[in-house]
Amino acid sequence: MSEEIARRFREILEAREFLIVGKKVARVDALDAVLGKPLYTADLVSGKTLYVKAVRSKIPHGYIRKIDTSPAASRQGIVKVLTHRDIPGVNDAGSLISDRPLLAYEKVRHIGEAVALVVGESLEAAEEAADHVEVDYDPLPVVTNPRDAMKPGAPRIQDRDNIVTHFKIRKGDVEKGFKESDVVIERTYRTQFITGLPLETEIAYSFLEEGGRITCIVSTQNLYDVYNKVVKILGVPGEKLRVIQAATGGGFGPKSDETPIDVAAYACLATYFTGKPALAAFSRSEAMTVQCKRHPFEITNMVGARNDGKLLAWRSTLIEDTGAYISKGHLVIGRATFHCTGPYEVPNVWADGYCVLTNNTMAGSTRGFGAPQAHFAAEMVLNELAEELGLSPLEIREINMLRPGSLTATSQKIEDDGLLKCYQRAVEASEWEKRVREIREFNRANKVLKRGIGIAMLYHGNTLGPEGDDFATVITYVERDGKVVVQTGLTEYGTGALTSLAIVTAETLGLPLSMVKLERPDTAAVPNAGPTVASRTTVIGGQAALDAALKIRATVAQVAAKMLSANPADLEFRDGLVKANGRTVTWNEVVNQCFEENISLRVVGYYIAPPTKWDPETGQGAPYNQYTYGALVAEVTVDTETGVVKVDRLTAAYDVGRAINPLGLVAVYEGGSIMGQGYALMEKIVHDDGVVINPNLHTYVIPTASDTPDEIRSIIVEVKGSMGVFGAKAMGEIPVVLPAASIAAAVANATGIYIRELPLTPQRVLEELHKSRQ
Amino acid sequence: MKAEFMVNDVKYVVEVEPNERLSDVLRRKLGFVSVKEGCGVGDCGLCIVLLDGKPVNSCLMLAYQASGHRITTVEGMGDGTRLHPLQQAFIDVGAVQCGFCIPAALLVLKHLHDTKPDADREEVRHALRSVLCRCGSYIRFEEAFKQVSRR
Repeated sequence: MSEEIARRFREILEAREFLIVGKKVARVDALDAVLGKPLYTADLVSGKTLYVKAVRSKIPHGYIRKIDTSPAASRQGIVKVLTHRDIPGVNDAGSLISDRPLLAYEKVRHIGEAVALVVGESLEAAEEAADHVEVDYDPLPVVTNPRDAMKPGAPRIQDRDNIVTHFKIRKGDVEKGFKESDVVIERTYRTQFITGLPLETEIAYSFLEEGGRITCIVSTQNLYDVYNKVVKILGVPGEKLRVIQAATGGGFGPKSDETPIDVAAYACLATYFTGKPALAAFSRSEAMTVQCKRHPFEITNMVGARNDGKLLAWRSTLIEDTGAYISKGHLVIGRATFHCTGPYEVPNVWADGYCVLTNNTMAGSTRGFGAPQAHFAAEMVLNELAEELGLSPLEIREINMLRPGSLTATSQKIEDDGLLKCYQRAVEASEWEKRVREIREFNRANKVLKRGIGIAMLYHGNTLGPEGDDFATVITYVERDGKVVVQTGLTEYGTGALTSLAIVTAETLGLPLSMVKLERPDTAAVPNAGPTVASRTTVIGGQAALDAALKIRATVAQVAAKMLSANPADLEFRDGLVKANGRTVTWNEVVNQCFEENISLRVVGYYIAPPTKWDPETGQGAPYNQYTYGALVAEVTVDTETGVVKVDRLTAAYDVGRAINPLGLVAVYEGGSIMGQGYALMEKIVHDDGVVINPNLHTYVIPTASDTPDEIRSIIVEVKGSMGVFGAKAMGEIPVVLPAASIAAAVANATGIYIRELPLTPQRVLEELHKSRQ
Repeated sequence: MKAEFMVNDVKYVVEVEPNERLSDVLRRKLGFVSVKEGCGVGDCGLCIVLLDGKPVNSCLMLAYQASGHRITTVEGMGDGTRLHPLQQAFIDVGAVQCGFCIPAALLVLKHLHDTKPDADREEVRHALRSVLCRCGSYIRFEEAFKQVSRR
């Protein structure tokens, strides 16, 4: 009965105009934020606590001959020093692949790897003592270039081949395609290490509850990832650990990766051994050294086309440096390779993607997950090809872009025209043709400053696809005062996605958003909801929230139907009222009646995406259930004397499927664009023979307010997707994907030079300008 | 040693170590946890408070140095019952993402609003340069300032 009503309500919801979805509403957590109220992990430390500091390796590669902890352990204020021998459970802090120990034994494989932990009564005592743990190393040859690491006989980083994954796409007959092409070019593009750099560094605080359970408060995206690993590290039964996500100051991928597990384990181990509260937090330089980074890629694209611009063949070789541990590198290479042709239809594709171990610091989840690298190389080669063919950047895109009926590189059939719409809107809103004329005039009149315009486009396979089980759970319950509480293991760390879950709930129950509250993710209260990654919270979590809200609505409807003498399925839920046949009861009256009748208003919502299918031998199939599309136009001014690139304007059009929270989307569009601009122009973590030489914010510079473009135009395109809640498509990561590609295209337009390596720092731009003049 | 200062118009007399940072005293001893720390060396600006109305990095100042001065944190921005117009504007324009830099960004803009309510875009951006926001809400902050100065 109830299920049937829920189904009917779903139909009603989808048929009528939305009440809150798509309207301009404030985030549910905005008021607290402007009052400075959200409690981040460091804010929750009360009373005396112990401090845990890691002893980190000072060399990138070597055998550990001896660890002498006694000089540290005997210092004043030091409670305990731990090495791998002291770990009560399993010495494993890898999230998907168990290749990374929490504390190194036998060998260190990258700079900054943790070899011991010092627990002190003050941070100062712990930090000073950490310098007194004596570690003897036998240095080993350091391999920092993945091309060297791939050679037969190269020193091995782990007890396995340095090539972790060879990911393939085989579509059509690429040799034939090249033969039939009138123009064939081959170019190599390179991208750099950057760090996601959430401004709150990794931090965890743990304490012992009565009954011997350890509670760990942590800054993380993935509640259950931390819980599952720390339970094993401690070697305790599951009920002896509780993990709560505190307000989290930025995620960007690294907080879903392995370092949140590290700090949680550090703190919990200290509490486990001492029974006392313990705090473990990374310093900024520690975070910038060991926090997982965006993978550097070397991508060689060979592309062939007919004289009329039609792409016939595409060969990509992608080499991905995942550092000393795999983390998510084997999945990032998959996403990058799947997207290696960009959003274009190519009949013949051959791609080889390699995930390679080196002695650089670990790369892992970072907003975009391989897409920025793949799209940079795809968009650049397309522009270079267009120039060879005498076509404009717009012409070559119009000829080749994915449209309804097109087949992707994996031969997945595209069903919707989201890409075309984004392209049209971006070109129109940027006034492309007019700008091109103005730029030509400007450049004729100016010798030093040169302006340029560029476009880049994307498609982005939604949510996990082949990267994992794409499910979510949401617990929703109604309190006596009528307030609806939404609690899930999915986390808020800045994206606003949990507000989307609240909006979906309010929409379904016909309540104002102020009636919906969010509770903190807590393993003692919610089941695993899957990871909060891959821009999947609104899309997949939204479906689970909808499922839960429909269940609540169906239960409430049965009680209200009796009160109104009506059929439950005919009830209208709106403005906090339940109506039928001209009669009305308030939401609170029905809720009250449910409580009187002991009818439970607590449900678990669940959703799992349809499984995706593809052949690992050929890469052919449908790896993702739906795609987000986008087009970004960048306008820049290049100072040819200083090499400085100024981004004047960005025009961003993304097909979000359904805008659940448009105000939130604008912040994500702008913020992602600015983060992407940092990737394009400024940021690079520099490894010098494996040693990170700029782990601080004065030599690794990220965009400030003064670096932002004069204008970012955010255009919301809505072409309903087949999977997400109310048609929503993934958006959290997307805006970071294209800035590098479109800015580099604009620089090429301004200067005539295709700069094939990121970032486009003033120094690099100048060097390229000098080279071209010789 | 003793430090004596007004925080959000309330007088505090507090025992501090000579090497104790203002940020730590505000956070740990007085409970103003809206004051954040992102680097501890003055790069990020998340620890900014207003000292006699002017923004300072509280991680770079010793607590005793603040003795005798007036300190404002975001907890003291409204008038107790109503939000400061900038706080309301931050909500209205959708400026909040992860929230970690919001207190600092609000204080920097409050100082600008108090001293130059009609500041132009370049001046707003120049002021905001002292606060890093990795979520990239800069244009939202600017928009909020614009809304308030229009009034």
